[in-house]
Amino acid sequence: MSHHKGKSGKKPARAAEAKREDVLQAVIIADSFQDRFQPLTIDKPRCLLPLANTPLIEYTLEFLAMNGVQEVHIYPGAHGEQVEDYINRSRWATESGRSPFSGISFIRVSDARSIGDFLRDLDKRGYIDGDFILVHGDLVSNMSLDRVLAAHKARRQAAATNIMTLVLRSGGEEQHRTKANAITPVFVVDTKTKRCLHYDETHPLQSDHYLTLDPAVIDELSTDFEIRADLIDAQIDICTPEVLALWSESFDYELPRRNFLHGVLKDWELNGKAIYVDVLEEGYAARASNLQMYESISRDVMGRWTFPFIPECNILPDQGYQMRIYGVSTEDGVEIASNSKLSNSIIGRDAAIGSGSTVIGSVIGRRCKIGQNVVIEDSYVWDDTTIDDGAVISRSILGYSTVVGKRASIPAGSVLSRNVVVGDDVKLQEPAVLSVISHDGSPVTTDTSLLGPSGKGAPYVDPEAEEIDPEDPSTLQRSLIYSLAHLSLSSSSISTLDSEGYADSDDDSLATPFSGDTSRTRLSSFASDDSGAALGNTSFHHDAVQGLLDALRDDTGDFEPAKLEFMGLRLANDASDAQMRRAVAVAFARRAAELLTPEHGGLDASKAADRALSRKGASTFIHEVGVGDPASDAEQVEFILSLQKALVSLVGSSRTLALEKSRAGTLLAALLQQLYNLDVLEEEGILAWWAEERALGGGGGGGKDGELEDKMKAVRERCRVLVEWLENASEEEDDDDDDDEDDSDDE
Amino acid sequence: MAPVMNSTSEVEKYLKSLKGKSVDASIDSLISLFKRRQIAGSEPCAMATAHILLQVVAKTKFRDVDHMLETVRQVGCKLVAAQPKELVVANIVRRVLGLIRDEASEQRNEGTDDDASPEEPFPPAADAPEPSEAPSTKYDGSTDYLHSGPRHVRLGALMSVGSFPASKTLLSLLEASPPGHPSLSPLAKDSGTSTPRLGHQNARISAIRAEIIDGIEEIKDEISQVDDQIASSADVQIRPLDYVLVYQPSHTVQKFLLRAATKRRFTVVIAVDPRLASSPREVPGEVPFASFRKKLQAAGVASMNIMNIGQAAHMPRISKVVLSARCVLANGGVVTDAGAGHVARAAKEKGCPVIVLSGVYELSPESSMEEDELVEWGGAMGHAGFSDGLFVKGAQLQGAVTELIQPELVDSYITNLGIHSRNHLTTIVADHYKAEDVDFQLWGDAER
Repeated sequence: MSHHKGKSGKKPARAAEAKREDVLQAVIIADSFQDRFQPLTIDKPRCLLPLANTPLIEYTLEFLAMNGVQEVHIYPGAHGEQVEDYINRSRWATESGRSPFSGISFIRVSDARSIGDFLRDLDKRGYIDGDFILVHGDLVSNMSLDRVLAAHKARRQAAATNIMTLVLRSGGEEQHRTKANAITPVFVVDTKTKRCLHYDETHPLQSDHYLTLDPAVIDELSTDFEIRADLIDAQIDICTPEVLALWSESFDYELPRRNFLHGVLKDWELNGKAIYVDVLEEGYAARASNLQMYESISRDVMGRWTFPFIPECNILPDQGYQMRIYGVSTEDGVEIASNSKLSNSIIGRDAAIGSGSTVIGSVIGRRCKIGQNVVIEDSYVWDDTTIDDGAVISRSILGYSTVVGKRASIPAGSVLSRNVVVGDDVKLQEPAVLSVISHDGSPVTTDTSLLGPSGKGAPYVDPEAEEIDPEDPSTLQRSLIYSLAHLSLSSSSISTLDSEGYADSDDDSLATPFSGDTSRTRLSSFASDDSGAALGNTSFHHDAVQGLLDALRDDTGDFEPAKLEFMGLRLANDASDAQMRRAVAVAFARRAAELLTPEHGGLDASKAADRALSRKGASTFIHEVGVGDPASDAEQVEFILSLQKALVSLVGSSRTLALEKSRAGTLLAALLQQLYNLDVLEEEGILAWWAEERALGGGGGGGKDGELEDKMKAVRERCRVLVEWLENASEEEDDDDDDDEDDSDDE
Repeated sequence: MAPVMNSTSEVEKYLKSLKGKSVDASIDSLISLFKRRQIAGSEPCAMATAHILLQVVAKTKFRDVDHMLETVRQVGCKLVAAQPKELVVANIVRRVLGLIRDEASEQRNEGTDDDASPEEPFPPAADAPEPSEAPSTKYDGSTDYLHSGPRHVRLGALMSVGSFPASKTLLSLLEASPPGHPSLSPLAKDSGTSTPRLGHQNARISAIRAEIIDGIEEIKDEISQVDDQIASSADVQIRPLDYVLVYQPSHTVQKFLLRAATKRRFTVVIAVDPRLASSPREVPGEVPFASFRKKLQAAGVASMNIMNIGQAAHMPRISKVVLSARCVLANGGVVTDAGAGHVARAAKEKGCPVIVLSGVYELSPESSMEEDELVEWGGAMGHAGFSDGLFVKGAQLQGAVTELIQPELVDSYITNLGIHSRNHLTTIVADHYKAEDVDFQLWGDAER
């Protein structure tokens, strides 16, 4: 049909090329290499989880079809066979003869460990021969990309180095449920050309809220730019094949944003590539990348923001939703007792709701049986679930075929995965994450004390939870309900202290300095701070501490290799001085605390401190790396603070290294004395620390930090003897300067 | 989002994409476009529906006319289910079903006439008793046809190989036989007389097919010419010095007024949906309907845009309101773009006439539908800024895309057939739709 005109045949090669250009390709990354949906994703891939009773991947494919994509390559990743099976049996499969795509293919990569591995694999395969859209398998969007694609094409024709366009949605300066919690992406964008100059991420757990902006950017690239932290980034990227080549060049890039985008933008002088940003004011885009986003997007679907991807448009061929009164969408065969109260909900086929029940703001799956006088609020109930009479469920996710017994109650924030049974009259007090299988798929023994005699399932334990650096902001995204409140209560978190009261109000304080302002004065403060580079090195801390601890435990041998390794790690991650200092402090504090425990000899504090620091080369290491050589008073203060915080974090923690407050204090005093003896710390430094307000756990923190402050004070108090001794020593030389300061401070 | 997109270009894109696709794939992709509201509005929906039915009729292998009817009906049900609020989809399906029925009965009538021809001797002896019955039985209701015809013919088509001379007589005889006639099928089977029917049947079907394709092409032409035909009534309706109020003028209304502008001097007041006024447009800073207003100006007609409260200020001077329909119900109710309702009500209060422009294809035989079933609800985007996080969190939004204007608010209807009063609408409905297709949508619902 397409070659019916003889005249057009005079430039056949050109025509073929042009035709090829027209074929829009898309790549779907269906595996995120995260486990934020556990335990729901133990036996099912994330992209097949139902959102508003429609599998997530359907939204993604609809979005691509809507924008005229013709060829789709899917990287299914974990549970790939289920994804393939689902697609192959759906209308998307080209074999069905009904697919809007001319081709849909799956690419299996057996040894992939990150998204980066997928994209490097894609580069090798050479399937991509033109512009393509890179999206994730959990994307929900109704954006029309026509204009964006045209703009991208125009830019690429203007210069081959314009390789990529990021499609973003403006999200306003206020709090917004559809913005990702915890990790805030920050884009620095040229106002006129929309070229992206820098990318960074900030999160409430980081110690400082600064970003480093390469001064060269201001000098050479742009004089008029915006710094935007208000954008919703659904990670829709329009790429040219050169993007894949860049992935291949850097074999250690894992994440498309934090690694790739940040890296490529940083090395713009080297690679000569330019990446652009298109901020849309119309349309909806978000990724269900964690449970919190899952909830937000479900709300947006119910709020009709994702139109036309809402229930009553019946995207799936077998759906038959109709909108009823009070914002309730129901399918056929739904039985609703006349005296039940329903509003703003989605109810799947053949579900039954008993009399006197209340369903508000919830999604009820197909064939769910809901008894009488049940209250379900803001919850997501998947197919085949049974909820018996009188149960109360608020703001939770109930997986497939779960059963909630009579008069049971499920508190907000709970996640029940497939087949969990909560017995009659069981009132869960705390939000629980329950599962009948463990992370490797083996069945677990039922916790009958929690779920009642007829219950099934047990609290889900994430095997990796212990290993995760508490400073990794992704920990904040693991629960259904986003909250920073628990952090200041949880004593095992080092991070709260580092955040210096910044955690409570992060969004606000962040929005203000970044609110799309281009004033130069403010920028200089960005650029001049050396402690930034918050990115890419959350793992640094973890690795560094682990490495040092190993070296310290190994009593024999030289400390030099550990030092080399540490410095290597520092360079690789571009860690700041502050981070190094903290890592060193934490490592030594943990080692000393470890020595106090019976398993390691149960030494007393001073011996433990001595032992921890007396390793050959260890003191020089602290001197050179941890504190700085020659050390200024300020640096010493920082180091002692780090030590103090590290010890406080161990107080009352659930770990094996738990300490009481008093012992932690004694240990700190012992460590300080030891360091003083070793000439690592000087008397001025210790006294300055004593005078420092932050040592009291204060420093502008909110009321929630009460407990921490308490601990900080208790630990500090133990050092009074040492400080007094030092003061006496100094008084001999210099009279009473320090004394006054000390007094005023103690109040 | 979807209504903002240009549906007309989406239709063109869709039509282009059909090349080389199977009919099933084309149907599915149209269903998806309907579901995603990428094709929305009466003209694009009607055009796309007509086109896909044309494809179905042209490309499917039909055993007989009933098969064709059933196939079209099924496809129609799917399309209607995909976008139940666009009544024109059902209208077009009804028109096509009507076409097929007309052709079928025409052919049959020809067939029965032929029975008297010299071909009669050919039928074998087994069937001999029947022909005498055939000419005397006249069936004009296709319902009977539906019940009697298919079984026999299908049977014949199944077992047919052979070169027996084509016999129109036998077929018409079978078709014309009374419903539930028990003797015929076994007879046909045993005797093997059905063999010749295939060739004949094929010829017949392709004749009908060609007729129906022509018919659908005519419907498509009709859809595309509606604007011009309606515009031809313009100078009768618009008088010199009129103050004409229009709400979000569609192409139809724009053409209508431009045509009037060639002869008359009047003033056009354009009521603009505030959403449209605030939404970003291709040329930044351009007022809504800028190109329409330029054309009016070129013709020497003054125009102004008003919004919200401005309408109240201008109402006293307005002498006429012109609205375009998305759909007109048989009882005279009009489905329009949301927001036109208050214009109509204001006009009624003031006592100035409300004129509704609508193609005949937009005239639906439905009349008893509830308002709830007719009004389409759109997305929340466009009614409020999504960037306002607190708002998004706290408010539940429902934005209507369409609105039902009660029949008593409308004074006259202008279609491509001329100017009508409300009472006349039922006559036009009766002219264009077969009684048995009026319930089409109900059928569809029941079967789903």
